[in-house]
Amino acid sequence: MMARGHVRFLVLILAVAICGAASAVQPISDSHRSAAVDVFVPVDGSDKSLEEAYEALKTLEILGIDKKSDLSSATCENVVKVLGSSSSTLKDAFYALKVNGILKCKSGGDVPKEVVSQLQAGVKDAKSLLDFYYSVGGLVLVKEQFSGTDPSLGDAKAIFRSIKSLSQNDGRWRYSSNKPGSSTFAAGLAFETLAGVISLAPSEIDQSLIQTLKTGIVKLFDSIQKYDDGTYYFDEKVVDGHESQGPISTTASVIRGITSFAASESTGLDLPGDKIVGLGKFLLGVGVPGDAKDFFNQIDALACLEDNRFSVPLILSLPSTVISLTKKEPLKVKVSTVFGSKTPALTVKLSHALTSGSKDSSVITNQELKFDADTATYFLDSFPKNFDIGKYTFVFEILLDDSANEKAYITEAETKVPIAVTGVISIENPEIAVLDSDIGSVESQKKLDLTKDGAVSLSANHLQKLRLSFQLTTPIGRGFKPHQAFLKLKHESQVEHIFLVKTSAKKSELVLDFLGLVDKLYYLSGKYEIQLTIGDASMENSLLRNIGHIELDLPERPEKAPRAPLQSADPLSRYGPKAEISHIFRVPEKLPAKQLSLVFLGLIVLPFVGFLIGLTWLGVNIKSFPSSAGPAISALLFHGGIGAVLLLYVLFWLKLDLFTTLKALSLLGVFLLFVGHRALSHLASASNKLKSA
Amino acid sequence: MMNISRSLALISLFILPLLSFSFSVDNPTDRRVLVLLDDLSLKSSHSIFFNNLKSRGFDLDFKLAEDSKLALQRYGQYLYDGLIIFAPSTERLGGSLDSKSIADFVDSGRDLILSADTSASDLIRGIATECGVDFDEDSSAMVIDHSSFSVSDVDGDHTLVAADDLVKSDVILGKTKIEAPVLFRGVAHSLNPNNNLVLKVLSASPSAYSANPSSKLSSPPQLTGSAISLVSVMQARNNARVVISGSLQLFSDRLFRSGVQKAGSPNKYEKSGNQQFVTELSKWVFHERGHLKAGSLVHHRVGETDEPAIYRIKDDLEFSVEIFEWSGKSWEPYVADDVQVQFYMMSPYVLKTLSTDKKGLFHTSFKVPDVYGVFQFKVEYEKLGYTTLSLSKQIPVRPYRHNEYERFIPTAYPYYGACFTTMAGFFVFSFVYLYHK
Repeated sequence: MMARGHVRFLVLILAVAICGAASAVQPISDSHRSAAVDVFVPVDGSDKSLEEAYEALKTLEILGIDKKSDLSSATCENVVKVLGSSSSTLKDAFYALKVNGILKCKSGGDVPKEVVSQLQAGVKDAKSLLDFYYSVGGLVLVKEQFSGTDPSLGDAKAIFRSIKSLSQNDGRWRYSSNKPGSSTFAAGLAFETLAGVISLAPSEIDQSLIQTLKTGIVKLFDSIQKYDDGTYYFDEKVVDGHESQGPISTTASVIRGITSFAASESTGLDLPGDKIVGLGKFLLGVGVPGDAKDFFNQIDALACLEDNRFSVPLILSLPSTVISLTKKEPLKVKVSTVFGSKTPALTVKLSHALTSGSKDSSVITNQELKFDADTATYFLDSFPKNFDIGKYTFVFEILLDDSANEKAYITEAETKVPIAVTGVISIENPEIAVLDSDIGSVESQKKLDLTKDGAVSLSANHLQKLRLSFQLTTPIGRGFKPHQAFLKLKHESQVEHIFLVKTSAKKSELVLDFLGLVDKLYYLSGKYEIQLTIGDASMENSLLRNIGHIELDLPERPEKAPRAPLQSADPLSRYGPKAEISHIFRVPEKLPAKQLSLVFLGLIVLPFVGFLIGLTWLGVNIKSFPSSAGPAISALLFHGGIGAVLLLYVLFWLKLDLFTTLKALSLLGVFLLFVGHRALSHLASASNKLKSA
Repeated sequence: MMNISRSLALISLFILPLLSFSFSVDNPTDRRVLVLLDDLSLKSSHSIFFNNLKSRGFDLDFKLAEDSKLALQRYGQYLYDGLIIFAPSTERLGGSLDSKSIADFVDSGRDLILSADTSASDLIRGIATECGVDFDEDSSAMVIDHSSFSVSDVDGDHTLVAADDLVKSDVILGKTKIEAPVLFRGVAHSLNPNNNLVLKVLSASPSAYSANPSSKLSSPPQLTGSAISLVSVMQARNNARVVISGSLQLFSDRLFRSGVQKAGSPNKYEKSGNQQFVTELSKWVFHERGHLKAGSLVHHRVGETDEPAIYRIKDDLEFSVEIFEWSGKSWEPYVADDVQVQFYMMSPYVLKTLSTDKKGLFHTSFKVPDVYGVFQFKVEYEKLGYTTLSLSKQIPVRPYRHNEYERFIPTAYPYYGACFTTMAGFFVFSFVYLYHK
């Protein structure tokens, strides 16, 4: 629990520090109005609860945005329905009456009797603070809205006491008597309820009761939380049982409670003024909330502060907390209420202007600001001669001219505003030089022109030094130390080294002794780009200049020395299409031209032709071919078989595979063996016969 | 009995929409997002961002970062598809959450928006380091830029940086150019050079540096110039996306609404570029854009339609793959001219860019190399901002069969001629030899 509170506190500090870095809380302006339209955009009552509709309507009404027409019909229907029925809850009745107050759906003598009696019964049976809040609040609204009715409350004193019995010693309240946890948010509700009881009571409530209530309020203010810049807020410490309320709604609830309480009774409420202003500053410091509930709470609470019976806070705001000496702008200050409306005549005094860092020296003391009636701004147009650039804390005081107003309006005792003063810094005698190390004699010295890039090219080795110097002076001639004065050396391989330029009031100088730096430079010789950056928040002419390059000749890297760190490759390089790859096929072997093969084929056929011609020339015959039928048939079959084998070879070449060929060949072979044997044995016997004959 | 069945029906009624909304392959956009805040007031101060997410259909669940009931998963199932951590100062997360469980959440393919701020806690730094981002170690350091700060009447220390060095990617930042500079106030970070998945989306200008604005510098700052990243994104290998910002205010209503004028520039903008930048970036990180889906790889021989079990070397084949892009609502055909296919065995043998028919079909044709072995069709598509596609399909390639070689080689005709004339001569000679008289 502690931790959560602590974190919330931190973030709020952050949030306030952002907008309020300059403590420049601005009154509610047009940015709130345009944002309100966005935040409450579907304000059509049909799809929202009456509570939400009321919050939207109330906020828009306070901001003066007329949107009633677009949402009145549906919401009004809902309101009339709730007010007409006797079974609606107290909460619904309460918010219906609140919406009715804005939209005037039902008015005049048309008193919703059921609701009145229901609310009266609600007061009587109330067990918890919320019951009291809704029923008493509802009756107050009925009294306001319907003329001629005076809904009686019953025994006002008893009701007052029974509500009062829920209060705690520390100013906080309980939601009901059987719940122990006390809440700041409930305190706000209780004050509002009691204010209602007072206004409805037929006779005066006992003063002593009111007095104890007042001390309760003062006690509650003791538990207020505070930021360093004078901002105050209420926060819920115990969150059990009920939904946790943020600081905005808690603060708003308390403000609503005390303003309605202050309005209901006549003796006046004495509250610490700085805390009231602090609450206003807190609510303004929130900026523009994005949440409808927060938006309503902020605007509603500020509206309560704007129009209250104890004291209206005045807010000092600065349109600009950055003053440029070159533009000779005056310092403008506005004083207004939280909604930016006019204030009575007053005087704004700049009591001190402290230089940040040093607490004592005040540059300006007790200067009264002039008033420009047209723009309603207070301004300071001339600064003393010794007013220099830098950061200041201006302390303003607001004094009301008419002391009669002092009761009605309240201001902070003093408002501290951080102010940044900027100006043009003159850069004089910029020089860059390469020095010889041992004697310090100047090898080469160049005047720098800081208005253009890349003007210098130098070269040095590891025994030399590089010296860069310049003088910075403020507009009034004082030495200036900028926050940012860097010299960057960037090697070709993207390795960067940054050196701080030592600045003193008189001179800014940087001496780089390369002998001592070789390790740091990773022994990388080569070209280094030199980049000079001078900048400061107060300097209007901050610069970033590539002054040129230096060629460094450094010794070889020893084994043990560290290598330059890995430079991250451009991460975008791995995206994008890769180069296409197409496969290189093996080149087929080189073959002679087809014609050449055909020519050789012709040559190959020639011997066969020659063989045939030779046979005819020799006069061959086949006269010994068997003449008798049997041997002739077997001879024909034999030669046919040879022809078939040869043909099989041709077929083998053309299309058959080896296995079919071998099968056919084996069949043909057996056949050939048989007929060949017959044919050849016949021939052999014939020749034997011939020989023997 | 009646009661049980009724309650079962109720439960299923309750679960069904949950199931249908949960993260799925067919609908990659996240639905349920857990928002961890270190203060519930952030809900109000950053309401434009959150309302924009809600209006886009996200179901935001706001929780305090220290809430003791925090859980990312129940019964082994993740309860959320996305996580937004806007709790820069939280030292310890509540419940069972720690930096490891967040790393596991990202490892399971879910998305994360992490915003740090000045004085970010070690926890937030630790999560960022897991994602390849190192925040400036000096916890009081902020990004300062004396040359490109936002001209403002109330900011006197140049820590409200007007940055316009955006990554050039339509898919990350949308097609509409972001004209106005983006306002940034927060802590600098650098990218881990060993992590090649993370990249800068918004970089600082060369004159920026990271230091404490209210104290003098005693040593050179750790981070300077364009090496400073203001907002980075990381897309993990499983396509989980992470956005890391050094500024929580970047997302705030205040900066969304604020006007901007960069120092030294005459252009004044009514509204900063923050809203557009953040909205587009959140569309990307929650997979409303840049999510690709590929069908299976289809290949066949030219002139055929069926996929063969094996290819022969030197076959001509046709290859195609369908790729669709998620538009946030439906799958649209993806159009690009840089999708490539590899025919891969140990190294790519063929790498070809696919041509598209603009209806999502990418195709090409090529000849199978004359190397046999087990090849793969590989589509490895990595494009800045898009999810990575990595598809592969294995296919063997065989050499020629013995009867597939060329049969009638003209060069060999003389040899054939010699055989056949010899055979013919033998046939004639057999007659002459046997029957000559």
